[in-house]
Amino acid sequence: MNIAKNSIAPVAIIGGGPAGLTAAWYLHRQKIPFILYEAGPKIAGLASSFHDTDGYTYDFGAHFINNRLAAAVGIGSQCRDVLYYGESVLIHGKTYGYPFGLMKSPRYVASALARRILPPSRQEMHQNAANWFRSSYGDLLANEVAIPLLEAWSGAPATELASAVGSKMQNTIPQTLKLRMASRLSRRAVGCGYSHEIPENPHVWHVYPEGGVGLLCQKLAEGIEQHIKLESPVQRIIVQDGRVVGVRCQDEEQPVSAVVSTAPANILSRLVEGTDILKPLGQLRYRPMVFVNLRLEGRNLLKDTVVWLPEGHFTSFRLTETPISMPWLAPEGKTLVTVDIGCEKGDRIWSMDDDALGELCIEELQEIIPDIKKRYRGCRVLRTPIAYPVYLNEYEEVRVKLAQSIGIDGLYPIGRNGEFSHALMEDVYWRTQHKMRQVIDYRNASQSRHHRSSAQFMH
Amino acid sequence: MAKTIQRSHLSKRYPGLSFVGVPHRPDCSEALRMTTVDCHVCGSDNVELLAVGEDFEYRTSPDSFLTVRCQDCGLVYMKHRPDMCELDRIYPVDYHAFNFSSKQFGFIYKVRRSLEAKRLLRACKGLGNDAKILDVGCGDGFHLNLLRDFGNKSWQVEGIDMSDHAVRAGREQGLTIHHGIVQTCELEQGSYDLALMIATIEHLDDPLTVLKSVKKLLKPGGRVVIVTDNTDTLDFKLFHQRHWGGYHFPRHWSLFSPATMRQLAVNVGMEVAELSTIVSPVNWVYSIRNFLDDWGAPTWLVNRFSLNSPVSLAIFTLFDNVHQWLGHGALLRVVLQNPGSPR
Repeated sequence: MNIAKNSIAPVAIIGGGPAGLTAAWYLHRQKIPFILYEAGPKIAGLASSFHDTDGYTYDFGAHFINNRLAAAVGIGSQCRDVLYYGESVLIHGKTYGYPFGLMKSPRYVASALARRILPPSRQEMHQNAANWFRSSYGDLLANEVAIPLLEAWSGAPATELASAVGSKMQNTIPQTLKLRMASRLSRRAVGCGYSHEIPENPHVWHVYPEGGVGLLCQKLAEGIEQHIKLESPVQRIIVQDGRVVGVRCQDEEQPVSAVVSTAPANILSRLVEGTDILKPLGQLRYRPMVFVNLRLEGRNLLKDTVVWLPEGHFTSFRLTETPISMPWLAPEGKTLVTVDIGCEKGDRIWSMDDDALGELCIEELQEIIPDIKKRYRGCRVLRTPIAYPVYLNEYEEVRVKLAQSIGIDGLYPIGRNGEFSHALMEDVYWRTQHKMRQVIDYRNASQSRHHRSSAQFMH
Repeated sequence: MAKTIQRSHLSKRYPGLSFVGVPHRPDCSEALRMTTVDCHVCGSDNVELLAVGEDFEYRTSPDSFLTVRCQDCGLVYMKHRPDMCELDRIYPVDYHAFNFSSKQFGFIYKVRRSLEAKRLLRACKGLGNDAKILDVGCGDGFHLNLLRDFGNKSWQVEGIDMSDHAVRAGREQGLTIHHGIVQTCELEQGSYDLALMIATIEHLDDPLTVLKSVKKLLKPGGRVVIVTDNTDTLDFKLFHQRHWGGYHFPRHWSLFSPATMRQLAVNVGMEVAELSTIVSPVNWVYSIRNFLDDWGAPTWLVNRFSLNSPVSLAIFTLFDNVHQWLGHGALLRVVLQNPGSPR
């Protein structure tokens, strides 16, 4: 392929979820030609919602965006305010509000204080996630709550996970208190821990777009439909001399000036042709997850929107009753409880049929909702092989390196799967725009290099 | 503003109500056409997020709006703003600048009139008997009236505004008002001694281009007086995350500090002859009003803070005097001068 020609070629975007569409929207505004390749038959990916004729809406977990992102994308007029959102933890049959309810237990407070008084060395703390949680929360809270949840969520022992899992997770206690107070006074679900990139404040709260978070994707895709190729999985990213020069899709080669990829990092390493530099990314793992949505009679069956289950005798680690926060997701007098179960592709849970999964959940949840059998009206199961990136210590170096740079000129991973990061919805939007500025700079630099070399040739 | 819909009304009437979009008048439920813009002073699109707001005062749409600060030059501007075709929606017939009359505002009208007259005449100092003055964005002609009543009778005083309502209201009072915008309206170039842009520049879609057009209309050495909301103030610091009165969502599109104003002058090619701040209670009063309304305070309390409330206006006038004394008054007053010496 002619490298010089490629500097004016379009940018290829791989993936039509929120990240890929943000990239496309940004490039379109800057009048940079691009082609967006989406493997599936429609845009939005994991941000899609499913609706049934009974009036239920199913998402991959509790999905919402905030009013700041809604205003940025221009869908504020189509969003509803979420008036309340809360999380609790169930331990020994008692629910504690998260995080302040847990502080009411003197055992946890004493153990946390003990760690504050006798802190471990920095090195010890950052050895693995288990140490990190014990140092930050105290032994008891870590052992009884944080570590079991982390292990169920990621499917690996906490001693094998990198401390980076925790260090990015929370606001300070005063900040959390302030945001909680604001939420109560303003009677809106003020976001707390939902944006790492831009500070949260009392005036940023959760909202839910009409019909689901997919609306965000539709809005971003407005006016650029002709540049989106559906059912077009990219087979190869072609690299020459350390630079991206093209992509292959449906056995045809397309010269490109850069590639912006939302593909999971481990898959990206297999897509690239012409260099081995991305081979180490092949070992990165994502946690598959099954979401069992139970349709139930009644409302407010859980103590909070989210109830964490750290005790090992539950198959699930998290229950979510989305209609507590977003009443419009279920018909009146009915509700949805989503049961999250971490699994591995092909294991017993992954392969179990929907009805059997529903029965399994009902059986277990009798402990929490005693008359759940009477209330049960069937279920709908959503599965994804890439729910969360797993930060294993064994490849922590690879992860950190990826976060700094991919190492191939003109290749830009974006989105939570592409960057292998725990980025949240709003983070993805702003980070992607920031990356797109880099793409444009790179493209301009290649163009001027090309002009310079042709000018020299003329002389 | 009797027709405005407040959050507090809504939450009392429908407890636990969740409506689509932000609270709006019943006849304004359709979303506005919006457009995304970059910084008008330096062209950068690199921004820091400041605020998400809604039309707290007039409730003209269900949309929310994002205001940002340019990371490169510091201009505060609305990133996603209503399209130009929506001006009639966001400036409703009861908009205060179209109806600022003694009938509606009584005592406050009289106080403001005498204060403004003094300020205005200071700006006109040194103008000859044959001076030509243009008020850009003149609204219903409040300042033109002042010039007619208190200024030199031989001055030629004209205004320009793009709003039908405003032009009609001004012409009914016998004022000379051109309908349109300075970029396209056929006014004689190089003919004006003084241009006024009082509470205008923040409403413009492209302040740089407009100011360049105004510059062309001025004689050599001619001046333009700009008065606009100041972002270098305590009220901005306290309320900039949402409720600041100066945002006036969604009508104030570009907001300046002394630094960004100087940058704008450089880009236009004019000299800063004077730059100072002046006292105004309005942003204080409306910041508090917006906060109370947004967080569901009782209506009687919300209504204590408005253009109709002499007590709160008086208190915050005194309060802003302290800030003025410290060099951070609520409004910026800038005099830019065309290069070259006046005749």
